[in-house]
Amino acid sequence: MSTTPLIHVVDDDLSMRTALLRLLGAAGFEACGYSSTGEFLLQPLPDRPGCLLLDLRMPGPSGLELQEALLRNKIMLPIVFLTGHGNVDSSVRAMKAGAVDFLTKPVKRDILLDAVARALARNASQRTARQESDQLQVRFASLTKRQREVFDRIVAGKLNKQIADELGIAERTVKREREQVMAKLDANSAADLGRLGELLRHSTAK
Amino acid sequence: MGTVTPQGSIRQWPGVARALMTALVLFCAALPLHAAEEEARVLMLYGVDPYLPPFLAMDKAMRESFAGGAGAQVHFFSESLDSQRFAMETLEPELAAVLENKYRALRIDVVVAISRMALDFFVRHRERLWPGARVVYVGFLGYEFDPSALPPGASAVVSILDVAGTIDIARRLQPRARRIVVVAGAAEVDRRAEQQAREALAEADERVPVEFLSGLPLPQLETQVAAEPPDSIVIYLAQFRDRDGRPYEPHDVLRGLVKTSRAPVYGAAESMLGLGAVAGSVASYETRGRLVGEQVRRALAGGLPDPSRAVLAAPNRCVADARALQRWSLDERRLPSGCEIRFEDVPIWRQYWWQIALTLAIIAAQAMLIVALFAQRRRRRVAEQAELAQRAVLARALRLTLAGELTGAIAHEINQPLGAILSNADAGDLLLDSGTDRREELRAVLADIRRDDLRASEVIQRLRDLLGKRIVERREFDLNEVVGDLESIMRAEARRRGVVLEIRRAPDGLAIVGDRVQIQQVLINLVLNAMDAVAEESGSRRTVAVSVAKGETGAVLAVRDRGRGIAPEHRTKLFESFFSTKRNGMGLGLSITRSIVEAHAGRVWAESGPGEGAVFQVELPLAVANGASSPHPA
Repeated sequence: MSTTPLIHVVDDDLSMRTALLRLLGAAGFEACGYSSTGEFLLQPLPDRPGCLLLDLRMPGPSGLELQEALLRNKIMLPIVFLTGHGNVDSSVRAMKAGAVDFLTKPVKRDILLDAVARALARNASQRTARQESDQLQVRFASLTKRQREVFDRIVAGKLNKQIADELGIAERTVKREREQVMAKLDANSAADLGRLGELLRHSTAK
Repeated sequence: MGTVTPQGSIRQWPGVARALMTALVLFCAALPLHAAEEEARVLMLYGVDPYLPPFLAMDKAMRESFAGGAGAQVHFFSESLDSQRFAMETLEPELAAVLENKYRALRIDVVVAISRMALDFFVRHRERLWPGARVVYVGFLGYEFDPSALPPGASAVVSILDVAGTIDIARRLQPRARRIVVVAGAAEVDRRAEQQAREALAEADERVPVEFLSGLPLPQLETQVAAEPPDSIVIYLAQFRDRDGRPYEPHDVLRGLVKTSRAPVYGAAESMLGLGAVAGSVASYETRGRLVGEQVRRALAGGLPDPSRAVLAAPNRCVADARALQRWSLDERRLPSGCEIRFEDVPIWRQYWWQIALTLAIIAAQAMLIVALFAQRRRRRVAEQAELAQRAVLARALRLTLAGELTGAIAHEINQPLGAILSNADAGDLLLDSGTDRREELRAVLADIRRDDLRASEVIQRLRDLLGKRIVERREFDLNEVVGDLESIMRAEARRRGVVLEIRRAPDGLAIVGDRVQIQQVLINLVLNAMDAVAEESGSRRTVAVSVAKGETGAVLAVRDRGRGIAPEHRTKLFESFFSTKRNGMGLGLSITRSIVEAHAGRVWAESGPGEGAVFQVELPLAVANGASSPHPA
């Protein structure tokens, strides 16, 4: 798994696409061009950090439609929109749907590279969060049924005695299970457990 | 002077009674007898030469008055005594004997006795020569004829030798005349005329001296008259003989006088006016001839001699000769009013004034009509040109409107190359900064920059062609190229609207003649309409297809959409001005489209089936090889 980011450029205009790829390449990025949203979607997406430079309007499905499709498929690839003639409507729509930026052609190098950098940064944090949540899921999966019941109640802020009463077990048993849960989930305190519970709820709700 | 009633009308009563009885007898018992008398005979008995112009004119008028008239066939006979030139005293018995022989077997119904000599001859010999004939006397009243001398049952046509009237006319023309010279002959008839003239002058109480030149031989007469000063008045009565007994044709004498005289010469007979006499109070021969005809008819009818019509007089009138007036420098305005001026060199326009006036009126009317038509044509042409100009302005305004609609596409088309240029330039910078030799890459960068720059300027050039103020061209071009010119803009617009645009060109060139930009306008207009038509559609119905193909009679440009189609009730109004189904439509696009297409001698029509969308087709005539087709684009 490569960690070098890959920038996807989707623009139907060959010369624009070529110029963008050339600029990104000269700026030290690795970039790949597609002439339409369809072509982009047909390619298998490598598991690499990266972002999407997307022309707003193209023959066939537009940039906005691609954005929606990626969101639906939970593909986290930050998008920088590029447009020849944008309007408020489409920019608002794009930004609401989580676009990093909405740039108008011709675009200045600094602005473009800055937007790309921000997109990549967002992608990096997205990827980190995703990794954390993935690990958490793995650890959580290693809990026994009894340990998961105890965890739920700790996160709900209940005391050991209350938990023991609810589950009909000895308080001492609750204490031992609690230590096991904290060890498995790599938590140091009840507050830690609360944060993890929040993360878990968030990732399963998605 | 009108008719003269003879004083002896009472004496005619026995004649009247006889005629009445005859008529009764004829009427009651002798109709076949009357039928046998169908043929009437009239003898013209001349006392003087019948070929003198007055007699010829009179005879002609008289005979004409019979022509075409109903009643008995009239035969005319003629005898001449010529008593002016021959001594009748010795010849008369023998002449009478000859005539008796001549007319023994021929019954004469009416004798027209012309001149006093003829009347006297008739009276002397009527019983022997022409028993039962009635007589119509023709001659001068006064010096020649006394109504009392008229035999019973006779009628007469008289004229008056109006010396007084003639002198009156002369005095009017020459108010400052100091002498009056009267020329008369020495024959008996001449002397009688002179006598009448003297009486008339005495009555008129002339204040200027009057001299009579009576019976002078012609050369002497001419010399004498030539000696007269121009302000004299010369009155010619007629001269049949001079004092030596030498006979003359009276008109020859007049001709001689007119030739030599410095003073104006006047005559009292109509015939003199054509021969050089200035003017006179004269009776018309023609009128006299008609009156003679009237009297002869009455006499032939055997009717009752109407006492009031027994003697008819031809009225005297003032007649002048324009040529003579001019010759003696006399002012025709001095003539009495109503005076007839003959031989006037009447200008054509006066002679034929109404024909000329009519002709001129017609010409004027035609001219006015022509002018009006020209004016109308000019107005129409000005209006047409104004309309053309207005249409061109409108077409341009609509192109600007179209451009407004296309702003997004245009911006895209320009920003695309500009964006590529900028990115390429930035990339070039970075390549240079990298320090390594990347010359090949830089060369490619520069080539791309150049290409994109040209691409952008081409878009701008096309827009300028489309929108600029320009004169209408008429050139040959390929209809495919028009689609090519606009393809990028149309595609940009289609992309902006999310419409699928299919473009299909003809495999071969389709050359047409006209204004390329106007045809571009037609294309854009139809394509934008089609895109509007599919705006509410989704999926594959959001499609607009443009095609160029060779049709049966020309090049066909078709724009097809898959929208809702055209409502049947709208189809007929589609190309009318200010008709629109769009909320903000002006209703001018298709109207201008049609006027452009028609100016290119083409046609545009729309087809639409229910739920099938619409097809707008434009057919334009193909340019012939030598470019002879002649559309006139607006």
